[in-house]
Amino acid sequence: MSTKPIFVRVFALLLSLSLVLAACVTPTAQTPTAQVIEKTVQVVVTSQVVVTSTPEPAKPVEITYYTFSAAPDYLKELDQMIQLFQAKYPNIKVKVETAPFNDYFTKLQTLIAGGIAPDVFELNYENFVTYAEKGLLLDLSPLMMADTSMDSKVYYPRAMQAFSYNGMQLGLPATFSTVMLFYNKDIFDNAGLAYPTADWTWEDAVTAAKQLTDSTKGVWGLHSGVQFWEFYKKAAQNNCKFFNDDKTQVLINSPECVQALQTMVDFVKTDKVMPSAAEMGGVSDGDLFKSGKLAMDVTGIWMFASFKDAPFKWDITVEPGMATKATHFFANAASIFAATKHPQEAYQWVQFFTSDPEMAKIRVDSGWELPALSNPAFFTDYLSQTPPSNRQAVFDSLQFAVVPPVIARQSEMQDGVNKLLDQVMLGQLTPQEALNQAKPLIEGLLK
Amino acid sequence: MNEQSSQAIPPTILTTSCPGSYRLKRRVSQAVLYLLLILGALVMIIPFAWMISTSLKTDQYVLTIPPQLIPNPATLDSYLRLFELYPIGRMLFNSLFVAGLTTLGQLVTCSMAAYAFARLKFRGHNLVFLFYLATMMVPFQVTITPLFILMRIFGWINTYQGLILPGVFSAFGTFMLRQAFLTIPVEYEEAAYMDGASPLTIFLRIILPLSKPALATLTVFAFMGSWNAFLWPLFIVREQTLMTLPVGLATLQGRWLTEWNLVMAGTVITVLPMLLLYLFAQKYIVQGFVMSGLKG
Amino acid sequence: MVVRQRIFQKYLWVGFFLFPSLIGLLVFMVVPMVSSLALTFYEWDPLIPTRFHFQGLQNYLTLVKDTNFWAALLHTLFYIAGYIPLVLTAGLGVALLMNQKLVGRAFFRGAFFMPVISAWVAVALMWTWIFNPKFGIVNYLLSLIGITGPSWLYDPNWAMPAIILTSVWKDIGFIMVLFLTGLQSIPQEYYEAASIDGAGNWPRFRYITLPLLSPTAFFALIISLINSFQVFDQVWVMTQGGPAGSTSVLVEQIVNNSFRYGRMGYAATMSWVLFLIVFLVTIFQTRMQKNWVTYE
Repeated sequence: MSTKPIFVRVFALLLSLSLVLAACVTPTAQTPTAQVIEKTVQVVVTSQVVVTSTPEPAKPVEITYYTFSAAPDYLKELDQMIQLFQAKYPNIKVKVETAPFNDYFTKLQTLIAGGIAPDVFELNYENFVTYAEKGLLLDLSPLMMADTSMDSKVYYPRAMQAFSYNGMQLGLPATFSTVMLFYNKDIFDNAGLAYPTADWTWEDAVTAAKQLTDSTKGVWGLHSGVQFWEFYKKAAQNNCKFFNDDKTQVLINSPECVQALQTMVDFVKTDKVMPSAAEMGGVSDGDLFKSGKLAMDVTGIWMFASFKDAPFKWDITVEPGMATKATHFFANAASIFAATKHPQEAYQWVQFFTSDPEMAKIRVDSGWELPALSNPAFFTDYLSQTPPSNRQAVFDSLQFAVVPPVIARQSEMQDGVNKLLDQVMLGQLTPQEALNQAKPLIEGLLK
Repeated sequence: MNEQSSQAIPPTILTTSCPGSYRLKRRVSQAVLYLLLILGALVMIIPFAWMISTSLKTDQYVLTIPPQLIPNPATLDSYLRLFELYPIGRMLFNSLFVAGLTTLGQLVTCSMAAYAFARLKFRGHNLVFLFYLATMMVPFQVTITPLFILMRIFGWINTYQGLILPGVFSAFGTFMLRQAFLTIPVEYEEAAYMDGASPLTIFLRIILPLSKPALATLTVFAFMGSWNAFLWPLFIVREQTLMTLPVGLATLQGRWLTEWNLVMAGTVITVLPMLLLYLFAQKYIVQGFVMSGLKG
Repeated sequence: MVVRQRIFQKYLWVGFFLFPSLIGLLVFMVVPMVSSLALTFYEWDPLIPTRFHFQGLQNYLTLVKDTNFWAALLHTLFYIAGYIPLVLTAGLGVALLMNQKLVGRAFFRGAFFMPVISAWVAVALMWTWIFNPKFGIVNYLLSLIGITGPSWLYDPNWAMPAIILTSVWKDIGFIMVLFLTGLQSIPQEYYEAASIDGAGNWPRFRYITLPLLSPTAFFALIISLINSFQVFDQVWVMTQGGPAGSTSVLVEQIVNNSFRYGRMGYAATMSWVLFLIVFLVTIFQTRMQKNWVTYE
């Protein structure tokens, strides 16, 4: 064999190891320091000259904002916000980069690996912990403290908390959403049943669902997904948590959690009010609801726009509980890359994008997600839009919101648990068996 | 399938003065043949008919249960909306430009390398060829991150060269052309070789012209690979001005919601140019193979 | 001395023809590949790109004990066992049919090639409907002959067969084009000579077509093997490895580890084990080709 390939391989190995290191050297930003110069002139007595280095006239700076929620429907609104921002800060130019949600984190990871991370990017909560834990996010607290116009109380406290990590504020909440019980009023009317209320338990829901399920017409009573996110919430409704408070113990197979899972499985298997995955055959629950084949659906407020033109009357209420109530609270943050070259400018964009009143108005008017702000005045317009009429329930459900159990190796945990849940739905495992297997799986990921 | 292949009649066979029963038998088998072909073609096409039909549906009827094949009402709204939401013209241009240059690059580099393997039998050529094959055996999903870092070093992020060059060097293309060149009878070159022609002349004057079908096939595949590429353009393109169709249209699949009529309209737009290219290239792929008698 | 000059000249030509392709391959393929090989000895999280945690052979040891990996390998092999024979015979059959003078030949060829030029995203949606347990076409046709169809993509035992069928449907056109190209390079004179000698259809096929098509068949087999070991897109879009992990394949595991779990070193390890398997299979096929492949 000729020597050429060997030489090439060694060279390539060295080259490749070095290129990865070279790619990641980023110079630290230099902060101008105030200088005080005192100058006395002997012959001519003049006043002391104190010169402080004036902050340089702001140089034009360009920052990148990477997002998954803007394209394709809200690019115009985002652009409006950027225009408002650039009017306020003429030296900062915001460049937008988008990617579809399913590929967003793959690309973000690659950009970071290549050393060209965007300055500001959008994060949902489940990825936030991963990025926070790896030190990829800039601590905004010093910037917030230096900013006299910033009052952190302007944000909804729970949302603020969600993005604080180890005492550092690693993102500011941009939007929030909740999951509600949607119900088809026409189906309820035709069966002569009372609409669901905020006090309902799942027993109440199943009772109603049994009367509403009509297999001849292909109509189902309810749907609530059997997957990780729904499961931890149902577990919380039954007073069960996946972990103890400092995440040293895994409690996922305790009796209350098993019971919660059993209830979920029963919707399909014993109560027969919910279609199985095979029976849905690739149609989403949202589409099922929209075509009038589903009386009650547990899904998020992001579906309002999609259901708007449904040919039937519908409304929402707080999701039913079990021993107690527990609801979803999801939030997206705007975070700054820790090694950004323009922390100050990035911060100004983040602060504007998450809390400016004009920004909030654009959001609410266009239906582009809800800003995570605590002042109810921002939401009066939102509350008056219909359908649904009971939008107040969105805010009511916040009192029962539970925090998702998130660990650093989140994706692996979710995949593992979802696979076990699949096996339960397929009848390959009982809930107890599945959760007994989940425990060592998760313990392994915590190490 | 064997029954069918025994019906494989080379085009030059003439049927003259066949006995009657033979003709009848041939008619029946021809009819069966056409029937099978039509069924086969239908199986191939129906999903596309559906795709087009979905692209013409209004929002309300996209996913009715059970699904309907004929859109009623039918509308071009999805296409209009696509043009509103995206710079389709620009993305189309980018896709054409990138795929076109990639294809050209592949044709040139792969045919040259294939010639070296097929005709210039040099020492160790089998090993080098195996080396080429080996580059196809590591999933690109794993090499894409180091490649991206490499592009960063070159400063080719968000550039046309970064988009195009990695796709030009194809072991698949080289392999395919090598096989094609190997089937060309050596006699054709021997005469020219005797006359003192250089390898380059032989390559340009004899090998290439005789390989039109394979070259046309490679054109189609190379173009197609580049046209439909998603992951690499996703990473390397950071601005709308450089976006190709698959990446640009991918945001139609939202986090919670997908408007399938729009997605299908996008797919139709994406598939059309490829289909045209294929139909055009087909002529060359199945050109009658005319050999001027060089025997002896 | 003339001989030495000749040899030097020859290598000059080899360099000329081979270099563009080889250099490109080295830069854009081999460098990333070797980086990924180096990564197998480390733990590397792309999100913390400057941190390399040396593992030695630990990744390989973890792999041996990883049940997800072995399950994925099994599913991949199952896919290959179903896919390869189907797609190659069907593709050959269709190519032979398409090689004749037919009415609407261009239309048929276009029809069969349409699935090939489309991206998996759109195709997958259509096939999810086709395999829908309640009102999809497949189960409907089965019900006509009295069989209750399974839940296909929602049944752990039938999801992979559904994916195999979809993949065969999509790739028949590709194999067809490969064989058509090969068929074109069979000189007509051979058939003419054979018919003059009084040979019938079947002997013509067996003694002319098959042998002269064998380089193409070899190529088609190798390419299909290399590609099917790396099957990914259809699984990702149609089942995401489900239900309950029954369609999890090797590249799906690799993608999960590289892009979702932040374990690129481990993903690289899986890729190189996959490489080894594919490499060995290819070597084996290359050795075997002496037995059945005839070059001119």
